[in-house]
Amino acid sequence: MVVTLWGLYLPKQQKKLKIMNFNRTKVVKNDTDKFINVPINMQWDFMGRDDGITEYEKDIVSQVIGNPQDFEIIRFAHNVFSNQDSHINYTFNFYNYLQPISATTIPITAWEPNYLNNGFSIQDVYYFSKSFVNSFFKLDFYDSPEDATQTLYLSMILPVQQGLTQSQILSTTLPPVQIKKPEMILDYIGNDKEGFFIYWLRNKNFIDVSTFYMKAKFFDAITGVYKEMTNTKQDLLTPNKFTFDHTKYYYYQVKLNYNNKTYEVYSTLTNSRVGDLNTPIIWYEYVNP
Amino acid sequence: MNIDPSTKIIESTQRYSSSPLSDQFINVPFVQTMKEQVEFDRTLDLSLVDVFDQERQSSTIFRPVTKFTLLFENAYTGSTKYVPYRDNLYYTNEIQNSISYYPSGNVTSVSPQPTNQNVLWDGFPQYSEFDFIRNDFDVSGYTIGSGRHLDFKPVSATTYNWSHYVSYAYENDYNKKLYAIEPQGQISWNWVASDGIPFYILLGNDLNNNFIRFKCPVKHGLLIGQFVYLSINYNTNYVFQVSNLGDEGFGSEEYIFNISNVGYTGTTFQTSTQGTFRKILDFTNSADTISYYYVRKHKILTSSECAVLVNSGFEKNIYNDKTKCENKVLTPNQRKRTSIKEGSRSYTLSFNCDINIKGLIDNQNRPISQLYFTTIWRGYFGWTQKLKQGWDFNTYLYLGNPQIWWNQNNLDSNTTIGQSQYTSLLGQGPFFYNDLLTSGDTIDGDFCEWNNFEQIERVISKYQHKITYNYNWFSLSSTIQDPNNSYGYFYRPHNKIPIREFSNYIEESDNEDLLDLPDYAYYSTLNTSFRWRDLYSYGFISNDGVGLDYPFLNNCHYPFINTIFRITPENYNIPSDYGTTTNPNDIDNYQGGKVPANIDIISQPLVDGCDALGVIFAQATKET
Repeated sequence: MVVTLWGLYLPKQQKKLKIMNFNRTKVVKNDTDKFINVPINMQWDFMGRDDGITEYEKDIVSQVIGNPQDFEIIRFAHNVFSNQDSHINYTFNFYNYLQPISATTIPITAWEPNYLNNGFSIQDVYYFSKSFVNSFFKLDFYDSPEDATQTLYLSMILPVQQGLTQSQILSTTLPPVQIKKPEMILDYIGNDKEGFFIYWLRNKNFIDVSTFYMKAKFFDAITGVYKEMTNTKQDLLTPNKFTFDHTKYYYYQVKLNYNNKTYEVYSTLTNSRVGDLNTPIIWYEYVNP
Repeated sequence: MNIDPSTKIIESTQRYSSSPLSDQFINVPFVQTMKEQVEFDRTLDLSLVDVFDQERQSSTIFRPVTKFTLLFENAYTGSTKYVPYRDNLYYTNEIQNSISYYPSGNVTSVSPQPTNQNVLWDGFPQYSEFDFIRNDFDVSGYTIGSGRHLDFKPVSATTYNWSHYVSYAYENDYNKKLYAIEPQGQISWNWVASDGIPFYILLGNDLNNNFIRFKCPVKHGLLIGQFVYLSINYNTNYVFQVSNLGDEGFGSEEYIFNISNVGYTGTTFQTSTQGTFRKILDFTNSADTISYYYVRKHKILTSSECAVLVNSGFEKNIYNDKTKCENKVLTPNQRKRTSIKEGSRSYTLSFNCDINIKGLIDNQNRPISQLYFTTIWRGYFGWTQKLKQGWDFNTYLYLGNPQIWWNQNNLDSNTTIGQSQYTSLLGQGPFFYNDLLTSGDTIDGDFCEWNNFEQIERVISKYQHKITYNYNWFSLSSTIQDPNNSYGYFYRPHNKIPIREFSNYIEESDNEDLLDLPDYAYYSTLNTSFRWRDLYSYGFISNDGVGLDYPFLNNCHYPFINTIFRITPENYNIPSDYGTTTNPNDIDNYQGGKVPANIDIISQPLVDGCDALGVIFAQATKET
């Protein structure tokens, strides 16, 4: 490509001009200004433009391929309380169905941490029948308590093989036996650890969630259905036991601390921390009308 | 381009009278604000491999992981009457102890009262006292219930006995005081690290041999033809050439070197003369080629809270758990239980904080090429006393006893790790434990040699810690021991994990403007050139197999290594399960003071655990 790069201005007083030595051009004097067009082959580019393009290129490549992301998960342990206790306590209460849930008055003992209320027999629990061991508690962690907009990010399973025990009569000819009950004390060590750690993204760069809303369900392998649970007894739900504020009664708050990789559980009712021996995380079976 | 309009171009013949006709020129200045355009430079082939490699090479974040295989032999039985300890021993003399403890008998149908609380019960501390993760959180009378020693907190289960960190060697200590003793020659050395390697003359010129023979307590690292700079001189001559190595003994060439006896007289090279030496490669330029000796110092990069120690699946080492049932009537607290002498579980150690090596340089001012898993004895349950430090050459017994280096009153063998104490819930104490380290703390490391001309570091002797029991609470049985210098357990705190490799060859250049000349290059006046070893890029492995290729993802490097962590007894005070003897004269079976060799792979068991251990000890014997 040939372009005219500049015009060479020659004052009219000059009679003759020889340009360099490659062409003995004569410039004859007259009263008009003259110009010499110097054709220059455009094989040049502005300095620095290349560097700029290189930077731009990196930007485009990063857009096309993407920047490295940290998808690694790491365990978040339950944070210690002021007395350095680290365990987290769950208590799951089942409705005993002695009265229909629609009854006006429901006894305070209608919900108990007892698998027998769910329909399991003592033999089922003691001998770990298939219907019992295939049942489990499921804790779902959402980014929001709003049913319509929330996203489920992770779930944890609490197997029924974990938990404390209670005394029951298996046979009148045998001494009382200890069977599992749905009260779990989870900690760093010991037999009951499943569900103690939350495994979640190490960095917040990819998904920035520091507070989860934890909801509980129980999978009943006898019937093959999930039973939802609330943080308050159903007869105490407001405005009524079937129509209530889900954001308030279905969840506990789980706050992650990315600095020391721990989590703490808070009540959505009181906003106070729960989970120790005095204030366990209590769930109550929700019975559909 | 702008030209001043007032510029006059005068024809040459008009410049002055009789001026000649000549060509005139206009110099058109091309100001360099442009560069040549290279076509097709704007085309880029996207290569995921290249992009991956670029990201990999630019990343300085590391997430090191190791699997610990813990090897421990419970070797020392002792006695105690401190109730929480006494009630949880692996008993070794329970019948005699019961007879003394229950003077009226201990038949189960009869109340075993009264008891003699002053009776010392004999046994081993159980394995949980040394395990990486304590699981005895529910032992009544020890960790829970009335009469417990302390309140067990599960959050501390991984830090009651040991604490884990990542460290790197960042500095050299040339003035570290060292001590060694020759078990056979009864010769001892006190020197500082920069003096070099100690020796004594095994065969001197007084014996009129062709050679003067020098013996060292550590591997000398010399080759025939190299030179030694001695701390002793012969007519002001300090440098002598090594003429050959070793004597008739197998493997002695690593510890013995000889110089020709050209007719030396006087007392300089007399037998039993002691001193130290430094290696010199080239006598004509000793300044460049002399070796330097020092103790590496490590800087801690993580806090103890960063370490995540978990059981390594269901993996166990090749030695089974050694347990026994303690009969109810043969215990001081009338409880039947299972006691564990030795366990076999493996552990995985990772960290929940990232290791960023950006800007970090090692003890030779080079980019970091090695990280270390640093494991420190914590001993929070209070069985042990002050932690001591030394090196491999301090681990050998002297006349059947620990070297005086390990005496609790020897300040030179103290670590930089702080010690604290507490009173138990029973109101007794003090019980000592070692403090946790924090990021930025420093501790000592291996005794090393560096040669500028070779650009290589050699570990002469590895760093060791020694754990000894606190005699106030647990005294060793069957042997007469100095309470301040008793048998103990050794372990190596630093376990290396290489993250990059230097080349096997040495690069050389006399051009200081060389683009890739690293700032750690050494300028040799002998060769008038810079010398250095290339630092290989991540993932590159040379033809000779040097290099590393760890996984890279999440914009981080994931180096992994298997680590065998040994807690090695200095000796035994009763015959061990493996048939070892306490008699140092029983050369075939005596294992006291022997530190097992580096074994990268645990051999498969031949028949059972005993045979497999035989493999270990066979190799250990070879090294020692």
